[in-house]
Amino acid sequence: MRSQHETPPMHAKLSLSVLTLGLTLAGGPVLAQSPTEIVVQYPYGDVFNETHRRIAEAFAAEHPDIKVTFRAPYKDYEDATQRILREAMTGTGPDVTFQALNRVRALADKKVAVPLDDFVAAEKNFDAEGFHQAMFDAGSIGGKIYGVPFAVSLPVAYFNLDLVKLAGGDPAALPTTWDGVISLAAKIEGVKPGIHGMVAEWPISGNWLFQALVFDNGGTMMNGDETRVAFDGEAGRKAIGTLARMVTETKTPNISGNDMRTAFAAGQVGVLLTTTAYVNTLTKQIGDRFTMKTSPFPGLVPGVSRLPAGGNVMMITATDPAKRKAAWGLVKFWTGAQGGAIMVENTGYMAPNKKAADRLADFYARNPNQFTAVAQLPYLTNWYAFPGANGLKITDVIKDRLQSVMDGSRTSEADAVLTDMASDVQALLPAKN
Amino acid sequence: MTEMSRSAALPRQPVETERVRRPHEERAAWRLVAPAAMLIILILALPMAAVVALSLTDYQLGAEAWRFVGAANYADLAADPVFWRSIVNTVVYVVEVVAGSTALGLATALMLQGSSILAPVWRTVFFLPVMASLIAMAIVWEFMLHPTFGLVNGMLGLVGIAPVNWLQNSATALPALAVIGIWQQFGFAMVLFLAGLSGIPQALYDAAEMDGAPSAWSRFRLVTWPLLAPVTLFVVVISTIRSFQVFDTVHALTKGGPNKATEVLLYTMYAEGFEFFRTGRAAAIAVLFVAAMLVLTLTKVVVVEKRIHLK
Repeated sequence: MRSQHETPPMHAKLSLSVLTLGLTLAGGPVLAQSPTEIVVQYPYGDVFNETHRRIAEAFAAEHPDIKVTFRAPYKDYEDATQRILREAMTGTGPDVTFQALNRVRALADKKVAVPLDDFVAAEKNFDAEGFHQAMFDAGSIGGKIYGVPFAVSLPVAYFNLDLVKLAGGDPAALPTTWDGVISLAAKIEGVKPGIHGMVAEWPISGNWLFQALVFDNGGTMMNGDETRVAFDGEAGRKAIGTLARMVTETKTPNISGNDMRTAFAAGQVGVLLTTTAYVNTLTKQIGDRFTMKTSPFPGLVPGVSRLPAGGNVMMITATDPAKRKAAWGLVKFWTGAQGGAIMVENTGYMAPNKKAADRLADFYARNPNQFTAVAQLPYLTNWYAFPGANGLKITDVIKDRLQSVMDGSRTSEADAVLTDMASDVQALLPAKN
Repeated sequence: MTEMSRSAALPRQPVETERVRRPHEERAAWRLVAPAAMLIILILALPMAAVVALSLTDYQLGAEAWRFVGAANYADLAADPVFWRSIVNTVVYVVEVVAGSTALGLATALMLQGSSILAPVWRTVFFLPVMASLIAMAIVWEFMLHPTFGLVNGMLGLVGIAPVNWLQNSATALPALAVIGIWQQFGFAMVLFLAGLSGIPQALYDAAEMDGAPSAWSRFRLVTWPLLAPVTLFVVVISTIRSFQVFDTVHALTKGGPNKATEVLLYTMYAEGFEFFRTGRAAAIAVLFVAAMLVLTLTKVVVVEKRIHLK
C-alpha cells in the first residue's frame, strides 16, 4: 500500500491504474479537487460497527470534500496498540485511530499521535459545541492534548433491587457511602443459598478499578512531577482497605470479571461495581429476571473525588498537513454532539460531549440506568498511565498484588500489600536524573 | 517434525557410495543446494540473528531509538521472580503432560490394538483433539470448567464434592491446563504407539509364551515394552517439545494468572513483547527458549543415533 503512496508521480504515469491507485492513496496534494481520503481504524467491531457506519453517513452529508474509509476493526485495545505501533514503524498506519484511553501515553511518548493543541486553540465557540476541559484532560499527557475521548465509561454501582428488598434494604434509597454499600452487601450475602453480597470487577484492565478507588478517596497514583508513587498514602490505604473489607465483610468470591458479570446477570449478586459500558449488555441479559438499577460509584465526595475515564479516544496519526486538517474535522464531528448521540444510542458508553447529552434527553429519560454515569461526568479525570518503559508492566504488578488481597491469601495485611506494591512499582519507574 | 519421525522410525540406510568428486559436480551441488540454503538463511538464520541482536538492546515496540545494553536483559531476567516462576511452571507442566499423554497414549494403543471392529472409530475419536484448533477447544474447556454451571463441577457435585473454581484457584489452574494438554496430545502418542505395536512380530509373542511367559503382563514386560522403547523415546521427546510450546490455552483461559500460577515461558515472552512492549526482554526470552529447544533436539538426535548404532 505504502509503496504506491510514496511512488513519485513520474513512475505513477506508467499506467493508468497505478495512477488512479496512487492518487486514491496519496489523496489531496496531487489532485486538489478530489475528496481527501481519511483512513480510520477502530477496535471492537461487534460493539462499534453500526455506530461508526452511522456517524460516517451523517458526516458525509456535511463534508462531501472528505471521504472516510474504514479499515477492518482492531480486535481489542491491545491489538489496536500493537498494530498502530507496528504500522508507525513501516509508515502504513491509518490517518485516524481509536485507542484505549490508557494507551494515550505510550502513543504520545513514541510520537505516533499528533498533538492537537493548535487545532483546539484555533476553534472558536468550542464550549458552545459542548466540548469542555475535562474532556481534553482525559486525552492529555504532559500538558499536551493527544486524543479526544469518543466513547467514555465510568465505574458505577449496579444493584439487584430484588435482593436489596429481600435483605431488608430500601430500593428507593440505595446507599452511596462505602459503609452503607458494604453493610447492605453483608446483609445480602447468604440471604438465600448461593447469593453473594457484592463483587467489584477489580481485574478490569489491570488497575482501572483500583485507580477508581484511589481517586474516589481524593488520591493520585503518582506525585505531581511523577517521580514517586503516591498511591501508598491515605487514599491508597483506604482504597485497598475497601477491597479487603469486601472480602472480609461481604465474603466477595474470588472469580474473574466475566464470571462476576455472569453471576450478577443470573441474579446471584446483590451489588456489582464495574464500568457503565455494560449497562446495555446486562440489561438485555437480565431481561425481567429481576430489577436492576445503577447508582453512583460509592463514596463520591464533590470537590475531592475523581473517577478515571475508561473507553476510547480518537487520535490523529496522519503525517500530511492537509490530511491532519481533514482528520481534525472527523475528530470534531465524531466527538461532537451528533457523533456522540449516535454512539450512545448504539452502544453502552457515554458521550463526554455536553451537547450530546442534551440531544439524548429523551433517551436518558427512557434509560435512567444509563444516566447514572452521565451524572458522574464532573468527576471525570484521566485513566492514569505510568511513565517510562515499564509503564504497562506496572499495571500487571498492581494486578498481581491486588489478587493476593482478593483471593484471601493476604487480605488481613492489606496495608503491607500496599507497601509492597508501592516499592515494586517504584522500582519499575524510570530513574530521574 | 515429520522428518524427525521418519529418521527415528526407520533404520538409516548405510551410505556406501564413496566416489571421487569432480569439480563441476561440486559446483552443480552448490547450485542445487543454493535455493534451499538461501531460504534457510532468509527465514531462519537472519530472523534468529535479529532476535539475538534485539535481546542485547533496550528496544521497545515502536520506539524511535534504542541503546545497546549488552547482557542487561539477561541479567534482569535472572533477577526477575516472574521469569523463574515461569520456568518452574513450564517444567511442571511439561512433566505432567509428557507423563500423562505418554501413559494414556500407550494404554489406549494397547487397548485398541487389533481386535474390535470399532477400533478405527475410537482411533479417530482419540485423534480428533490433535487435529482440532486448540484455541476453540480451550473455549469449550472454559465452559466445562466454569465454577457455577460447568460440567466438571456438576459431575463432582453428584458425588458430593464441593465446586472448585478450577481456573481461578492458584492450586488447580496449572493442573487443569495440564489435563487439557494431555487430552490434546495423547491421541498423537496413541497413533505412534499403534504404529510401533504393529511392527512387533507375532512370532516373538509366541516364543515368549513357549518360553514360559503365560500372562499378558509378562509378555508386555518382556516383549512389547522393550521393542517399543525407540517409539517411546520419540514420543517423549516430541511431546516434550510440544508441551514446552504451550501458549494457546494459557492465553485463552488464564492469561498467566491467577497471580502467575500459570505463567509459562511462551506466555511470558508474549506478555513482555506485546503487552508491556519490552521487546528487548521478550527477545532475550526467545533466545533462551530456542537454546533450550536446541538442547532437547540435540539430545534426541544423539540418543536416537546411539540406539540405531547398537542395532
